[in-house]
Amino acid sequence: MKNLVLTGVLSSMTFVGMSQREIEYVEYDLDNGIHVILHEEHATPIVAVSVLYHVGSKNEQTNRTGFAHFFEHLLFEGSQNIDRGEYSELVEKNGGMLNANTSQDRTFYYEILPSNQLELGMWLESERMLHANVDNTGIETQRSVVKEEKRQRVDNQPYASFITETFKRMFTTHPYNWVPIGSMAHLDAAEEADYVNFYRTFYVPANATLSIAGDLDIEQTKKWIDKYFASIPKGQAINLLRDFETMGPEEFKKEYGVAQVSFDRKDFLNPGNAAAATLLKKMEGIQIDIPRPEKPTEKIDQVITDVVYDNIQLPALFMAYQFPSQTDEDMYALEMMNDILSGGTSARINKSLVEKQELAQFAFSFAYGLEDAGVGIFAAIAQQGISLDTIQLAFDAEIEKIQNELVSQEEFEKIRNQYENDFISSNSTIAGIAENLADNHVYNGGAQKINTELSNYMNVTREDIQRVAKQYLTQNARIILQYLPKEKTEAVDEK
Amino acid sequence: MKKYIIALGLLAPTVLFGQIDRSIRPEASPAPTININDSEVFTTKNGITVILSENHKLPRVSFNLVMGSNPELEGIMAGLSDIAGSLIMSGTSSRTKDQLDNQIDYIGASLSADKNSMYLSCLTKHMDKGLTLMSDVLQNANFPQSEVDRIISQNKSGLLATKSDAGTMSQNAVSVANFSKSHPYSEVMTEKSLSNINRDAIIQYYKRKFTPNGSYLVIVGDISKDKASVIADQYFGNWMGTKVFQEQWGAGKFTKGNRVLFVKKPGAVQSVIKVSFPINITPSHEDYLKLTVLNNILGGSMFGARLMQNLREDKAYTYGCYSRINITENGSWLAAGGNFRNEVTDSAVTQILYELERITDENVTKDELDLIRSAMAGGFARSLERPSTVARFALNIIKNKLPKNYYQTYLKNLEAITVDDLLLVAQKYFTSKNCNIVVVGNEDVIDNLKVFDTDGKIEMLDAFGKEVKETSIMPAKISADMLLAAYVNKVTNPSSKKKVKMKAKMPKKARKKIKKITSMKEVFELSMPQMPMPLISTKIWISPDTSVQFMEVNGMQMQKSYFDGTSGYTSNMQTGKEEYDADDINAEKKSKGLFPEMYYKSTGMNYELLGIEKVDGINHYVLKVMDGKSETYSYYNKETLLKSKSISIQTQDGETQEVVVTYDDFKEDNGIMLPTKTNISTGEVNLSGKLKTRTFNENIDLKSIK
Repeated sequence: MKNLVLTGVLSSMTFVGMSQREIEYVEYDLDNGIHVILHEEHATPIVAVSVLYHVGSKNEQTNRTGFAHFFEHLLFEGSQNIDRGEYSELVEKNGGMLNANTSQDRTFYYEILPSNQLELGMWLESERMLHANVDNTGIETQRSVVKEEKRQRVDNQPYASFITETFKRMFTTHPYNWVPIGSMAHLDAAEEADYVNFYRTFYVPANATLSIAGDLDIEQTKKWIDKYFASIPKGQAINLLRDFETMGPEEFKKEYGVAQVSFDRKDFLNPGNAAAATLLKKMEGIQIDIPRPEKPTEKIDQVITDVVYDNIQLPALFMAYQFPSQTDEDMYALEMMNDILSGGTSARINKSLVEKQELAQFAFSFAYGLEDAGVGIFAAIAQQGISLDTIQLAFDAEIEKIQNELVSQEEFEKIRNQYENDFISSNSTIAGIAENLADNHVYNGGAQKINTELSNYMNVTREDIQRVAKQYLTQNARIILQYLPKEKTEAVDEK
Repeated sequence: MKKYIIALGLLAPTVLFGQIDRSIRPEASPAPTININDSEVFTTKNGITVILSENHKLPRVSFNLVMGSNPELEGIMAGLSDIAGSLIMSGTSSRTKDQLDNQIDYIGASLSADKNSMYLSCLTKHMDKGLTLMSDVLQNANFPQSEVDRIISQNKSGLLATKSDAGTMSQNAVSVANFSKSHPYSEVMTEKSLSNINRDAIIQYYKRKFTPNGSYLVIVGDISKDKASVIADQYFGNWMGTKVFQEQWGAGKFTKGNRVLFVKKPGAVQSVIKVSFPINITPSHEDYLKLTVLNNILGGSMFGARLMQNLREDKAYTYGCYSRINITENGSWLAAGGNFRNEVTDSAVTQILYELERITDENVTKDELDLIRSAMAGGFARSLERPSTVARFALNIIKNKLPKNYYQTYLKNLEAITVDDLLLVAQKYFTSKNCNIVVVGNEDVIDNLKVFDTDGKIEMLDAFGKEVKETSIMPAKISADMLLAAYVNKVTNPSSKKKVKMKAKMPKKARKKIKKITSMKEVFELSMPQMPMPLISTKIWISPDTSVQFMEVNGMQMQKSYFDGTSGYTSNMQTGKEEYDADDINAEKKSKGLFPEMYYKSTGMNYELLGIEKVDGINHYVLKVMDGKSETYSYYNKETLLKSKSISIQTQDGETQEVVVTYDDFKEDNGIMLPTKTNISTGEVNLSGKLKTRTFNENIDLKSIK
């Protein structure tokens, strides 16, 4: 009991003594549903403009996987006002850089620009949101590029398929069944209309978070936001505008019963024509229903063991457990448990499997937290001549140990110190701040988490770690993948 | 700590949006001023140059200690510096590795070392603890033998993994191609050189390399100058060491004409291409910035760069294509390329060479120059966000002897560069005609690459950049039949001390001897490092022409082949049983008997003596044998006349496969000479086999093995 009280005292001391910088920010919603977050900081004359779309591979249809990631590529192809190839050029020739990434849960675009180009960054992102070019030329090019990306990152990379292999066994009904890179056959099978539909469903203001950070003036920035983003039509009116810009007059009339000329290209939101105004109002009132999968209820209830043959030299073992989603309270304890096992050189798995027993070339574990579910993964690449069964036994010994024994006070303090260090270091760039703010808003229950997250970790006790280890590292319900070298023994013939 | 959270609804939806013309692109506001903070530079009493960049935004601080010496030639111990580097953190005279790791992790710090430097980063409040550990490692690293052994064995596994890692193979080949053997950059660690590395050599390396003379300590972060100078003396002032190693190595190896260097990666779905050449320039040269601008136009990381636009955005050959220049005091080079799907490998090389030629032939456009200049200026500004940048600038100025105001005037100098300047440097340093074109990939793509090689001879390299020798064949003075007869004579009459006479006729004695053998059964145990269980190979021969072979792992039959002189089959765990077709039977019939060489003449086997070739320094007769299905090259030792190797090339389902079998440790058994060791390799699989049992004239029940 004495020990426990002491822990409490220690933890509050660490917390108070910490000279952590509070990230200040402003946030609000636009009428069309865009959530805006602004952070002002003048240390370096640069700004980061980012838009997070709440769409990832889990929003895809089972026969159209890879779409979310494909869009990440496609949406650099330009817009009504930006020619093909010009999007990146505009950023780069104005001294900026840009990129994007896609996960199971989100698609994230950003530019980092000299601060005097902030307005350009906003215009670019608003163009992407309002009326990007989704046409066959771009689709064809990006299809090939994405195929090369898959070859480079997955097919030609030893062991790289383990996420795919794990997820497809872990989630049999939930769309986490596939990974963001998706199926190339699906991309080939898809037609222009499929792509256009995806854009019309997910690339809408109500599904976007605009997060801007850096050397900016909040009031001026808000004015530009009004100009470029608040002017994006809400509800289905955005798709009315897209149709207005891409359809011929007859097609438009047929679709909407109102003549295309009743709208003013330059002032679309304020049509003089009464029929147009009525249609616009009606479309603004129709909310776009964004399909989101149900959280998975499926449970693994047995040990699934499989062998995967790969172009590798050294066998490897991957074990996976079902974890809760990233917002579950238990994730704090699970992440800390993971760091006891695998955070830093002195952590248990490295010490035991790599250094002491010399069973593995690399060995580690990680907690993969996603919006709808989580996965805990243990991975090791075997040392030459070591069997995967031996490695599995060694992992199991570590798992049993953390389930059966409370972690030592010293180890526990070590992990807490690491969290403090990571937390302080985490918001050192404006692009990182913009991303963290948006992520916390969409997935973690609020942007304010950027300043309060550490206390959630500091509230975890040693008993919590032991409890989650018992609860989630279920030895009778897990996936075990053995990666073995592709053998060509059929060629052995000594005649 | 004020937070403005304006709730939904407060921002009244009464705002009416006026006209907005989206086709008008926003203009930039006035350019912000870029301030580069000064760094402090001072020297400790033992000769360390300290560079301090204060930055108090976050309560953290970092210390980077960089050695001042040049790289060394490692020779038979290639890889020594890397091994030594990865062992520095293995413990000190007063701390075991476990204690050290624990104490670093306990303060949430990171402390790391490599062959040339040491780096600490931690919260300011843990600085003294962190520096205590850093200076202990620096002065008392003790390289325990057990850790040396562990790291060496880990690297052995790592080298094995290299053989499936196209990126590393490509890097190795580029290093070897662009630098001569007497330059440290050409040295690549191999299994052999790793085996020469020992603890003494590691300690000697560390003592030579880690010395305060000529070293730099770069301090960045939340620390004042006073504190920094106290700390530099306190933790590093008593450190002593040898004179700094300063040998100059000069530039790379310039070639005449284009060379293609190919590294095979069986099963590859992409080719890793690097078109490379050495550049004669050092970082302090006045052309440095121009060359950087030029390379960025060609293949910098911007989407707008030529290689990216041409090979990705236009042709969609790749996910990314870049050119990188590495400019160092000790040699500089360019490498341009990326990963390309097999089918477009040659087209990609064509386009990369085209872009190299274009940039040396004609001026870049003003637009391109403007784009890259702005991009570089932007990158310069962005880099200033990291506190370490300012310190790096100061380090570069000192190390590379740049003008003191180099970075203050960087943007101005960048602005002054013209398209004519760029054409001059392009012609001076770049080439599309004297390149080392390195390709790692599937051997299917080799033939299409011949056209790029000026002399038409593609050089084949292994995973570590070592040349794979294609030895030349000398003519033999005997006929194929003479060789066959001599070989059969030797194996069937091993105890004879007489020198075998070369006759074209099969020796009668041999026939008699073989006749006495009614069956032979031999079991070999085959193992490879990656496989925990050995493979058991059993071969049975029953007079006159039944042969059976099967492979088992752990009692489970993986595959089998069976032939009884008229029909047969193969079966395989994955694909099942497959009866021999007419072609198979025809081919099988041609190699009958315990020693098929005895009957080549009568079975219709197609054979030809190619000549004499050196294998591992020993002369061998090379006999090419074709049975209509596969092509086999058999190697007979010229002195002993025993068969020491065979290479057979089989084509199955359009895939060509090469199987190399070597035979060793011949022993007389039942009056004939047979190997007791064998090695079988194909693709990445390498099995080494030892004879377990061999029995003769056993009664074997045909039914049980059919």
